[in-house]
Amino acid sequence: MIKRKFYYALVSIITLTMLTGCWSRTELNELAITVALGIDQSGDQFKVSAQVVNPGEVASQKGGSGNSPVATYTATGETVYEAIRKMTTKVPRKIYGAHLRLLVIGEELASGKGIGKALDLLSRDPELRTDFYIVVAKETTAEQVLKILSIPLERIPANKIFQSLETSEKAWAATAGVTIDELISDLVSKGHQPLLTGIQIFGDPKSGESTESLQRSSTEPVLTFADMAAFKQDKLIGWLNERESKGANYITNKVHSTIVSIPCTRDGMLGIEVVRSKTKVSGSVKNGVPKMNVSVQAEANVGEVECSEVDLSKKDTIAELESKTEEDIKRKIEAAITKAQADFKTDIFGFGEVIHREDPKYWNQYKMKWNEEFVELPVKVDVDIKIRRSGSVGNSFLKSLKE
Amino acid sequence: MEIILVKFKKTIKKLLKSESTAHPGVTKIGDTKPLKTRLHENIQFIKENLGNSSDLIIREIRISKKNNIKLAIFYTDGLADTQSLNNFVLEPLMLEMRKMEFDQDIYSNPNVALQLMKDEVLTVSGITDVVDFDTLLTTILEGDIVILMDGSAWGLKVGMRGWEDRGVQEPSAQTVIRGPKEGFSESIRTNTALIRRRIKDPNLWLETKQIGERTKTDVALMFIKGIVNDKVLDEVHKRLDRINIDGILESGYIEELIQDETYTPFPTVYNTERPDAIAAGLLEGRIAILVDGTPFVLLVPALFGQFLQSSEDYYQRWDISNLIRLLRYIALAISLLGPSLYIAVTTFHQEMLPTPLLISLAAQREGVPFPAFVEALLMEVTFEILREAGVRMPRAIGQAVSIVGALVIGQAAVEAGIVSAAMVIVVAITAISSFVIPSFNMAISIRILRFGLMGFAASFGLLGVTLGLIAILLHMSSLRSFGVPYMSPFGPFNPSDQKDMIFRVPIGKMLTRPHLISQKNETRGQNEPASKPERE
Repeated sequence: MIKRKFYYALVSIITLTMLTGCWSRTELNELAITVALGIDQSGDQFKVSAQVVNPGEVASQKGGSGNSPVATYTATGETVYEAIRKMTTKVPRKIYGAHLRLLVIGEELASGKGIGKALDLLSRDPELRTDFYIVVAKETTAEQVLKILSIPLERIPANKIFQSLETSEKAWAATAGVTIDELISDLVSKGHQPLLTGIQIFGDPKSGESTESLQRSSTEPVLTFADMAAFKQDKLIGWLNERESKGANYITNKVHSTIVSIPCTRDGMLGIEVVRSKTKVSGSVKNGVPKMNVSVQAEANVGEVECSEVDLSKKDTIAELESKTEEDIKRKIEAAITKAQADFKTDIFGFGEVIHREDPKYWNQYKMKWNEEFVELPVKVDVDIKIRRSGSVGNSFLKSLKE
Repeated sequence: MEIILVKFKKTIKKLLKSESTAHPGVTKIGDTKPLKTRLHENIQFIKENLGNSSDLIIREIRISKKNNIKLAIFYTDGLADTQSLNNFVLEPLMLEMRKMEFDQDIYSNPNVALQLMKDEVLTVSGITDVVDFDTLLTTILEGDIVILMDGSAWGLKVGMRGWEDRGVQEPSAQTVIRGPKEGFSESIRTNTALIRRRIKDPNLWLETKQIGERTKTDVALMFIKGIVNDKVLDEVHKRLDRINIDGILESGYIEELIQDETYTPFPTVYNTERPDAIAAGLLEGRIAILVDGTPFVLLVPALFGQFLQSSEDYYQRWDISNLIRLLRYIALAISLLGPSLYIAVTTFHQEMLPTPLLISLAAQREGVPFPAFVEALLMEVTFEILREAGVRMPRAIGQAVSIVGALVIGQAAVEAGIVSAAMVIVVAITAISSFVIPSFNMAISIRILRFGLMGFAASFGLLGVTLGLIAILLHMSSLRSFGVPYMSPFGPFNPSDQKDMIFRVPIGKMLTRPHLISQKNETRGQNEPASKPERE
């Protein structure tokens, strides 16, 4: 009897597992692997573009058949989610966003409706990871950016953009890779406004849309990171140029390594490679007046010497180079601060948060009108550079050439 | 005329009677019929009982010219060593005995003559008396010889077994690079000798019993008195005594008849062809069960960890051994989880893959008609067929099958777009990994479980795999081998036994026997680190 019951149970369990089917199972070839999303404004609606990988074309060992490695689909909807779902009418497979590398926001949307409303889905949907970078398309639409194919070295355009952003962030410092978590935490913070990297198309965008552009060796039209977008709340308020971007990144301690060019006394330039830069931002409130102190400490190497009169073997020369470098960095930082205070009137550096930590009482009193306080905020900038090495040669051969 | 007819009828009746009395005489166990005094009656009885089998040899001789005393030697052709029989039995009896001078006239009394033969004439070592037919028949069938003399109701059993034997060869299933290359053979005597040669301890005891009503297979228990756990020993005795079967043809019969749990994929009895592995087990307090006719010797109690250890682990330096053990655990994990993880990740958790890998896998799957699970099942079953074919088929065809397997299944299936290349890689690495597990029966268990986990992975993804693993772990924790928990020393946890489980410490530091196997005489030795000579 017990045996019989056991068999009944066994049989029903086995049949039940068959009946459940395979919950949320998707085969790899049923996925539209989306590597980049673009969000634009289209009237009152969102226009969403998705760059979908064509795996056979990308992974093929034989170089593929010359078809486009990616396809870009566009759909418009009241909400971002609606637009994405509407895309299924055009894409044969389900849009799969877990491998998203890049989110491009059109300038029109950023300065018009604001980015806030577009971001909720991206932070809510469990399918999406939070490690994609967000950039703003400067003087163009996100859709246009995603349609550019002509990118050498990397078959998937979104990957190229992602990697190029990571590399330039590490070695050039005028860009910043911002993920969705960071962006949202900046959006809700009163004392820190978002700052996103901009992406720009140089050349004729139309000619970059076809696969023919892949066969040319020139990289026109080219996608370039240019400038950084400053936000006030979720609205784009202006662009920092390259120098100012660097300055802003010094303040937010995002500089890993960069090059500082300083003029020689007579002719030519000197390239100083900054490594291991560390920024401390401290603030204080005295008699109800907040004050900021930005101090940058960095090590540097002499990377390139174009001047003939510099004698690197002398201690004085090194000291002089150090002070010149310090000056240059200081000017960049100050330029960024001036721009933010005078033009944008928005605290993109997070000074407010420093004050919050330093004097919570003051902060609670002024947080609602912090941007006004920020405009008047005195900022003292200290830069301390130590030059450690001069590469594998001592003095430049240019020096012997001259003598 | 009538008289002749009546006489004829009577003789026929007699014959029929004798037939009918003799025929049920297919002797049963416990039927101890005493031997008869008349030699020809005995011969008659033996012949009838063995059905006149042609391999039964009866050699009748006369030992004295004067007296007509007859003697018969019985043996089975092929089982007894005829060379020794000629030299040490026939020659003394037929030549030397006649030259010998005895105090009394031995030929008048057959009993005296037989005793004298036993005491003075036969130059062989193992002689015992036989008094009943049951022992007599068994003796003949075991390969020993029996000497019966006319006029005495007992005989001599002379140990003279010697049959064609494979001899001691290298073990085919468990090979090592460093370590003894001897393996057990089919002869139980050789096997016990191989173990004795390794442990010359008077406490190494050997108990033999015959199991199998018809096969009468010799089964020997070996253990070291004073180390072995008496409870376990009693249990083994009890279980062996309980066996009631007509034949034991391999130690696998015994294993299935004495194991703790029949309905489990995991083996709870260890088997090996290696005498050194058995010797090591005995020294740890385990019990070896040897079965005549098979080179596979059983060792109980057997714990899970034991199946993942190879005897070479102790012959190589400890650091090397530990790395190899680590490798083995990785192989075990791949062998168990390889295809199921692949299925789970590619059909449920694509976000776990790095983007370039995902794209590459997706490209390979373009155009593959089956879901990943079916694809994996297809390949796994194909591999199992190939493997099984490789074991069973005649050696000469082996090459052909491997070509068909490698080319057709591997390359052609991928090129035809029936399976993806990645799946072939996964199945191949899984297959190879399963051969890293030193014990073949454990490898098979893992293989069975792999299929189950693939099903779980296909229906519930990683969640299913995790559930499956938990179920397996629970099941394993519930198993016991002769009263010893299967998963010990992990569950129950025993800190001192960890010294030789996942990893092994240097041999100089392994100073106690595994606690859960036996609690007696736990210290193995005392080892001070070797003193370094002074520097000059």
